[in-house]
Amino acid sequence: MPEIKVTPLGAGQDVGRSCILVSIAGKNVMLDCGMHMGYNDDRRFPDFSYITQNGRLTDFLDCVIISHFHLDHCGALPYFSEMVGYDGPIYMTHPTKAICPILLEDYRKITVDKKGETNFFTSQMIKDCMKKVVAVHLHQTVQVDEELEIKAYYAGHVLGAAMFQIKVGCESVVYTGDYNMTPDRHLGAAWIDKCRPDLLISESTYATTIRDSKRCRERDFLKKVHETVERGGKVLIPVFALGRAQELCILLETFWERMNLKAPIYFSTGLTEKANHYYKLFITWTNQKIRKTFVQRNMFEFKHIKAFDRAFADNPGPMVVFATPGMLHAGQSLQIFRKWAGNEKNMVIMPGYCVQGTVGHKILSGQRKLEMEGRQILEVKMQVEYMSFSAHADAKGIMQLIRQAEPRNVLLVHGEAKKMEFLKQKIEQEFHVSCFMPANGETTTILTNPCIPVDISLGLLKRETAIGPLPDAKKPKLMHGTLLMKDNSFRLVSPEQALKELGLAEHQLRFTCRVHIQDPRKEHETVLRVYNHLKGILKDYSVQHLPDGSITVESILIQATAHSEDQGTKVLLVSWTYQDEELGSYLTSLLKKGLPQST
Amino acid sequence: YRHLHTFELQAPTRLIEWARGSRVCVAGYGQSDGNEILQLIPPPTLLTKETQGLCPERDFKVECGGFSERPVYSLKYVPDTSLLVTSGPPDSSLQVWQVSAEDSDVIKSVSPIATENGTGQSWAKIATISARAPWVLHGSRLDGVQITEVESRKNIYTAASGGSEELSSLAFLDCNTLLLCCATGRLCLADIRQPQSLVEAVSVPSAPCSEQWCMGTRHGAQGLEPSSQPVARLSSRGLLTLTDLRKTSEFLALATVRVPSPGSGAEFLCISWAPALEGCLAISGFDGTVHVYDTQSWDSSGREAEPVFVHKGHAFGGAGGSGDPPLVTVHTWHLQKPRTLLSAASDGSLHVWDWVQPCGKC
Repeated sequence: MPEIKVTPLGAGQDVGRSCILVSIAGKNVMLDCGMHMGYNDDRRFPDFSYITQNGRLTDFLDCVIISHFHLDHCGALPYFSEMVGYDGPIYMTHPTKAICPILLEDYRKITVDKKGETNFFTSQMIKDCMKKVVAVHLHQTVQVDEELEIKAYYAGHVLGAAMFQIKVGCESVVYTGDYNMTPDRHLGAAWIDKCRPDLLISESTYATTIRDSKRCRERDFLKKVHETVERGGKVLIPVFALGRAQELCILLETFWERMNLKAPIYFSTGLTEKANHYYKLFITWTNQKIRKTFVQRNMFEFKHIKAFDRAFADNPGPMVVFATPGMLHAGQSLQIFRKWAGNEKNMVIMPGYCVQGTVGHKILSGQRKLEMEGRQILEVKMQVEYMSFSAHADAKGIMQLIRQAEPRNVLLVHGEAKKMEFLKQKIEQEFHVSCFMPANGETTTILTNPCIPVDISLGLLKRETAIGPLPDAKKPKLMHGTLLMKDNSFRLVSPEQALKELGLAEHQLRFTCRVHIQDPRKEHETVLRVYNHLKGILKDYSVQHLPDGSITVESILIQATAHSEDQGTKVLLVSWTYQDEELGSYLTSLLKKGLPQST
Repeated sequence: YRHLHTFELQAPTRLIEWARGSRVCVAGYGQSDGNEILQLIPPPTLLTKETQGLCPERDFKVECGGFSERPVYSLKYVPDTSLLVTSGPPDSSLQVWQVSAEDSDVIKSVSPIATENGTGQSWAKIATISARAPWVLHGSRLDGVQITEVESRKNIYTAASGGSEELSSLAFLDCNTLLLCCATGRLCLADIRQPQSLVEAVSVPSAPCSEQWCMGTRHGAQGLEPSSQPVARLSSRGLLTLTDLRKTSEFLALATVRVPSPGSGAEFLCISWAPALEGCLAISGFDGTVHVYDTQSWDSSGREAEPVFVHKGHAFGGAGGSGDPPLVTVHTWHLQKPRTLLSAASDGSLHVWDWVQPCGKC
C-alpha cells in the first residue's frame, strides 16, 4: 500500500524546535530545523539520531525546507548542516534566505559571547550553511530531482514565511509552517489553491483560542503609550528584531500623525534598521495596502520614527524607544532598561514570548528586584506591561485553510494532545478526512490512494463505451481490458490486441462434468427426457436437441452415454467453456437433482 | 467605557451561561447540523478583581466542546453535577450532555429526555436546580410544564394547566416555587407542593397589536429572600413592568423604553438584573445595542425611562454594509464584577464590557 510517513522530531506536541521528517514515495524531506528557546543544553535541538542511525544524512535526505526565519524553525540549521553534517540542498524563500543568517548570528553572539557556551555553531558555520541554500519564489515549481518537486505559497505571519507543497508523482504533502489567515498592517493573509494534497500538516498553536480583536489590543496599547508619554515618562519596547517591530512602528506612526504628538520615537540601530531595509527590498512580500501606498510614500520610511543613539537614553522628557533584543536578555534593550527602570513614570511593554531565565521573563512574572552582573540589585519601579501581537491561525483559520486546500488527511503539530480532541472531531466531521496528532518521535503512516494514469487504446475505449448506458461524466466507470506494463509506460488494451502484441496464443478452457442418472431406458430416450426437462425449466435459454443425439443449452453441450458397468445408470457428459462457467455449474447442479418421474 | 474586549466566535450564539469555575458556555443555533457547544475559559482579565489593561492573556480559551445536531436555543448547567441540558427546535424534547473537562475536551451527548406530545410544539424553555436532587424544569407551553429528575428521568411534577399559551421563560424561585412567564405577558406562580393550583400575578396592560414578553428574575444576592426581589417583564414594544411577588395585585413600577421599531421581532428579547448592583437591569434584543437602566427611581406612571448606559459596540462591528445590521441575541452580567457584562450578536461577535457611570451615582 503506498503510504506517506511523518515523524515530528520537534513540535510534536509542544511548541518550539519545529522539525518534521516526511517520507513520500521513497523521498525523504526534512521540514524546518528549529531551536527550542527554553532549553540551554542539547534539548534545544531536535533529536537527529532518529535519522542518522540510517547512515549519512546527505544520502538519506533529499532536501531540507525552511518555512520562515523564526529561530524555532531555523535556529538549529547551522548545527544540523555543519556539526551533524548535511550537504544536500536547503530550500527557503528569498526574504528568509536574506534574514535568517542575521538572526542566527545575533543568537550565536548572545549564546557564545554573553553566556560563554562552547558547543555551539560558529559564524563561519552559519556562512557555510547558507551557501547550501537555494532560494525559491512564490508559486514557482522547483524540481529537486527528477521525481521530487516543491512549491512555496504565501503564509502571512512574518516577512518571507511560506507554506510548502512537496510532490512526488501524484502524491503530495503541504506543510504550513506558521501561518495567519487574517491580514494585518504589513502582511497579507495566507493563501493556497485547491491542490488536494494527500496530507496537510498544519500548526495548531492557537486552535483552542478565541482571540481578542486586534482593534482592542491596539487601542489599549496606544492608550498605555499615550498615557506614559503624556506624563513625561519614557516607553521602552524590546522587540524581536523582525516582524512585530514593523507592525508596531506603523501603528505608532499612524497614531502620532493622527494625534499630532511631538514626543520622539526611536528605533535602535542594528537589527531593526536592517529589518526595515529588508522590508523595503522585499516589498512584494508585504500586503496590498503597503504596496499601493508605496508609490506615494514608502510605508517603512517613517516621519516620526528616527534612528536611536545611545546617548539619547539620557535625554530628559518623554520618548518611545524600540530596542533589541526582545527578551531583555542582553544588548541595547537591557542597557536602556537598566537606565530607566528606577523611574515609576516610565514603562516597558514586552511584545512577545520571553524565555525562562531572561530578564524579560522575570519581570513579567512579577519580580521587581533583579540581580545583575557584579551582584548589583536593580529595583524595577517602572511599569511592566505585556502585549501579544503574534499572528497565528486560530480554529476558524485552520478550518479555512483546510477548506481552501481540500486535503485528504490532516496532521496537526504544535498543540497539546489532550486539548485537541475537539478540534480533531470538528475537522473529521466537517471535512470527512482523518486527523492525526503525533508526539515527538512518533511516526504516523498515512495511506494514500494514488491514481496511476494509464493510456487506453482507442479500440478498447470505443468497445467499452458501446456497452451499457452512457456513463455519468463524474462517476468512475469500470472497464475490462488487459494492462500492459512495458518500459515505464502503462497501456490498457483489449485482450486480443495484447495477445497479438505479446505473440501469445489464446488458451481455451473447457470443463466436462459427469452426472449420473438412474434410468434403465435407452440412451436416446434419456436424452429426450433430459431435453424436455431442460426445455421446460430454462424458458429464457435456447435449448436444442441436435440430430446427433446431443443437447445444447446456449453453447453448453450435453451428451448421454450408458454406464460401462451398470445398464440402469446413464452418464450425462456436460461440457462448457470457461466463458459459460456460471451456466455450466447451474446446469450441472440442476441435473444432479435428478429428472422428474413423468416424461 | 472602562474596558471593552471584542471577540469573534466562529458561529453566533443566542445564549451565554455561567458555569462552575467561572467558565462561560455558548452554543450555535444555525439551521444546519454541526452546531457547536463551547465551554470557554475567560481571559484572566475577566477573572481577577483588579483589572489590568494589557494582561498576559486576553483571549478566551475553548476548554471543551460538543456537537449538536439541532440548533441550541437554550442551555442550562445542572448544579452539582457534570451535566448540562439543552433544548431547541424542532420539538420540546431536551438533550442531556456530559462535561468532563479534565479527561477530554469533548462534551459528550447522553440520551435525551423526551416529552410526550413533544412533537409539534416549539422548543422548551428550561431551568435547573439541585435542591433535593438534580431537577430540570421544562416546557414550551403553559399546559406542558413539568419537572424531570435528570439522572433517573422520572417525572417529579406536572403543573396544572392554566391555558395553552406559549411560554417565554421559566425559573425556580426556590426549591418549591416556580415562576412561569408566558409570551403574552401572563406571569404565574406555582408551588410544587400544591400541584393543582397556579397563582396568577398581575397581568400586563393589554395592547392593540400583539406583543411578546419575557421576564428577568434576580439571583445571587446573598441572604435575600428570592421572592422579595421584583420580577421584571419586558415587551417587544418597549414596555417594562416590575412586580413584587409578595404583592401581586399591582405593579411595583411601570416604564417605557425607547425602541427603534416597535414590534420588530421578539426572538432575542432579553432582560436581566445585575447581581451586584441594586436596582440595575439590562435589556437587549431590539437592535445592536444593550441598554442599562437604574430602576430605583421608577414609579408606576409608565413614563419613558432614560438608560444609564448604552452599549453600541455590536452595531459597529463586522464588515460594513453587508446584509442586515447585527442584532444582539443575548446578554448577561458578570457574577462578581458589578459593572461588567457580556453580550453576543447575530454576526458572531462576543463583547465583554465594563461601563462607567457617567454621573458618579449607582
